[in-house]
Amino acid sequence: MPQVGSFDIAKVSEAIHPDDREAVFRTADEAIRSGTRADCEHRLIRPDGEIRVVHSLGDLNNSEGRTQMFGTTQDITDRRRAEEERQVLYRELQESRVSLEEAERLAHVGSWVWDLEKNHVTYSDEYYRIFGLVPRKDPLDIATVREMIHPEDRGYVFRTAEDAIRSGERAECEHRILRPSGEIRIVHSLGDLKKDASGRPYQMFGVSQDITDRKLAEQALRRSQFYLREGERLAHIGSWASKYLGTRWSEDLDIYWSDEVYKIFGFDPKNGPPSLQQFLAAVHPQDRASLTETMKMLHEQHCNCDVTNRIVRPDGEIRYVRCVGIPVVENGVFQGFHGTTMDVTEQELLTQELRREQAYLAEAQSLTHVGSWACNLATREIFHSSDENARLYGFDSSQGPLPFDLFYATILPEDERIIRTKLENATSAGADYDVDFRIRRTDGAIRFLRGIGHHNPAQEAGEYFGITMDITDRKRAEEESERLRQLEADLAHINRVNMMGELAAALAHEIKQPIAASITSANALLRWLAHDPPDLERARATAARIEQDGNRAAEVINSLQSFYRTGIPTNRQSVDLKEIIGEMTVLLRAEAERNSIAIRQQLSAGMPTLFASRVQLHQVLMNLMLNAIEAMKDTGGEMTINTQVDPNGRLVTSVSDTGVGLTAENIERIFDPFHTTKPQGTGMGLTITRSIVESYGGRVWATANQGAGATFHFTLPGETEGHV
Amino acid sequence: MKPAAVPTVFIVDDDRGMRQAVQDLVESVGLRAESFATGEEFLSRQPTSDPGCLVLDVRLPQMSGLDFQRRLTDIGIQVPIIFITAHGDVPMSVRALKSGAVEFLTKPFRDQDLLDAIHQALQRDRAAREQQAEVHELHGRYKALTTREREVMELVVSGMLNKQIASEIGISEATVKIHRGNAMQKMQAGSLIELVRIADKIKHIPPK
Repeated sequence: MPQVGSFDIAKVSEAIHPDDREAVFRTADEAIRSGTRADCEHRLIRPDGEIRVVHSLGDLNNSEGRTQMFGTTQDITDRRRAEEERQVLYRELQESRVSLEEAERLAHVGSWVWDLEKNHVTYSDEYYRIFGLVPRKDPLDIATVREMIHPEDRGYVFRTAEDAIRSGERAECEHRILRPSGEIRIVHSLGDLKKDASGRPYQMFGVSQDITDRKLAEQALRRSQFYLREGERLAHIGSWASKYLGTRWSEDLDIYWSDEVYKIFGFDPKNGPPSLQQFLAAVHPQDRASLTETMKMLHEQHCNCDVTNRIVRPDGEIRYVRCVGIPVVENGVFQGFHGTTMDVTEQELLTQELRREQAYLAEAQSLTHVGSWACNLATREIFHSSDENARLYGFDSSQGPLPFDLFYATILPEDERIIRTKLENATSAGADYDVDFRIRRTDGAIRFLRGIGHHNPAQEAGEYFGITMDITDRKRAEEESERLRQLEADLAHINRVNMMGELAAALAHEIKQPIAASITSANALLRWLAHDPPDLERARATAARIEQDGNRAAEVINSLQSFYRTGIPTNRQSVDLKEIIGEMTVLLRAEAERNSIAIRQQLSAGMPTLFASRVQLHQVLMNLMLNAIEAMKDTGGEMTINTQVDPNGRLVTSVSDTGVGLTAENIERIFDPFHTTKPQGTGMGLTITRSIVESYGGRVWATANQGAGATFHFTLPGETEGHV
Repeated sequence: MKPAAVPTVFIVDDDRGMRQAVQDLVESVGLRAESFATGEEFLSRQPTSDPGCLVLDVRLPQMSGLDFQRRLTDIGIQVPIIFITAHGDVPMSVRALKSGAVEFLTKPFRDQDLLDAIHQALQRDRAAREQQAEVHELHGRYKALTTREREVMELVVSGMLNKQIASEIGISEATVKIHRGNAMQKMQAGSLIELVRIADKIKHIPPK
């Protein structure tokens, strides 16, 4: 409360805040001393304890001879507070500006203010950064701003802003901006209008966000979705998912179908995914039960599935659909199924066609007994072996692929060595091969097979493909025809030892018949004569028959002798003995090989041709060669056929063996008729040989070898000398 | 008994000289002879059932003599056979004799051996024919019996007494006696023993 009167200085001092007292008085003293104005701010304490801040000014007054200080004190408490508050606000503003800038930077959001009166724009630092520019404080004129927008978007941006200004509503647009580097960014801008009291807009404040990354991500997503959809469409693969399958079996399996699945089934996506019943109804009646089973199994066992079944589209077309499903398990919790659905009609039809083709091929192979294969002979690995191929070896291919060695082991040991060499040679040369070999089939039967292998040069070394065929029947037929041919040859030459035996027996019968008849007739004759009176008529007739029979016997013997001497009727011609030796070697090679006998030829050059019967020469050589084989039958050995031309131009042929040999006594008698050293021999072979050779004016003889065995020699005159 | 036809020696040999010689020899002892080159030729001769015997060569061109022997048995010609052969062996002769041949001779054979064999064969043929004729006769008599007489005869030869027979077939003993008498008379059996023998023959040798 104001008072009239004065206070002593102590009282005044009391009213000053203790902390400021000294400073106040010092200021006063200083002013007094110097005669200048005292000026200080200090705190007062009100009697109620409230502290106030005052500003005191004091001037010295030296009038009337006394010094007096006159001053004012102004209460500046409120001013001070306001000042402090202002400073706090300023600080906060600064801070919030920093956080705003930070936020803008983080969110790629820039802000701007468009002064509509001055028509210039102020950007925030971040907005400058979005533009790829160094932040500036001063505003930009609108023309510069326009320049910074993508040319194609400029019109649109300003139109949007003008529309907003006119309508007073918020402006919003997405547009592209240009960085100085030429880079294009996409921003999303919002602008709000500020209006003065009269409602006239004077400013537009807005934010712009750089959404380039988001846009690109969106585009990428859209693109990948597009590709996925296109991929599904192109591959006829759709995807599906079901949340409830495996958890709840109901009409609604909460199935998701991709567009392609709808397309595959010929369903309209607008109708949504089908119910279980609708789905099964689309399945081909013949596949419906099994597919229902499969779905039940998926549901109950949460297992994988991969099934192909037929569906009938609403338009009646039948398609083959392959459905693959897998259970989805997240953190050990079953989440339903997802999978793919594929239209495999083309593949399926192709597969069926392929299977049919394969069946035809297999049928053809089985009919012709030809199997096909592909393997690597070096690594002994089989890549392909047709059923018929396995069957040829007696294997059952239904048990799966068979190892190479199983096939190889069936080859007969005596053929294996040759086959191994041939295959090794072919493999190392990368050449094709064609081999005949025998196998012992699993059922024990011996079969002849022919294998033709083609080297596959496109592949690794040792890779071959080819065919195997059963040539047993052909081989047997060949053997049979060979046997027949030989038999024919044997018969033609009346040469084999047993043939001689038969010939002798036949001749014996031929001779015995007329002799027996004449003996019987002689007896009858005697009886006719013993009749009383003797029946001379009959006796004479009987005697005539005896004569006939006697002549008949003589004829047989004559013909036999003439046969021995000259053999069968001869047909002489110009003959090359080399050919005859070659033919006989071929004919007897099998017989020789059976007895482990090798046949060697040492034929002299310039052999003269002979004028002779081929058949007789065959006979001579065959007799000598058969004898040689006979001599080496138990031991095996070597037969050598040697020809030489002697000084008289005669051809000397020798057949030598390494067999049992001849004793001195045998050498003497060996050409005698019926002399034989063999249990089944007739003793006629060499006799016939000599008879033939001598009929040509030649000579035949035998010598014992230095080593083992014997040699038979015969000479024949050359054609020019001949004409015997 | 019918008087037997003149027996004939049939000769089958493909060797013309041989079959003519044999035929000549057979005729020289007063027997009838016919010769054939093959078995077929022999079979085509009619009638084939004339009494006689067959001289058969073992070695025939188409069918061997041994096979021909079997063929004759198969078609029911029971002619005794003498085999002749140029080279027979023991197993062949055993086989021939086992099949019922009379003799197996090797060419050249002694003429007496062949003639003896021929006589033996004709004898055998005659006996067989007589037996056949008797059986034929007995069958004829048997056919003349009534059913009842045959019934009674069978029971009689089985050793039953009249009384037993009467009770067996349910007729009086007197009636049995009448049937029995008739049967004995028709069968020309003088005694019960003779009737039993006749019944035995009928039973064992069926009529031709």
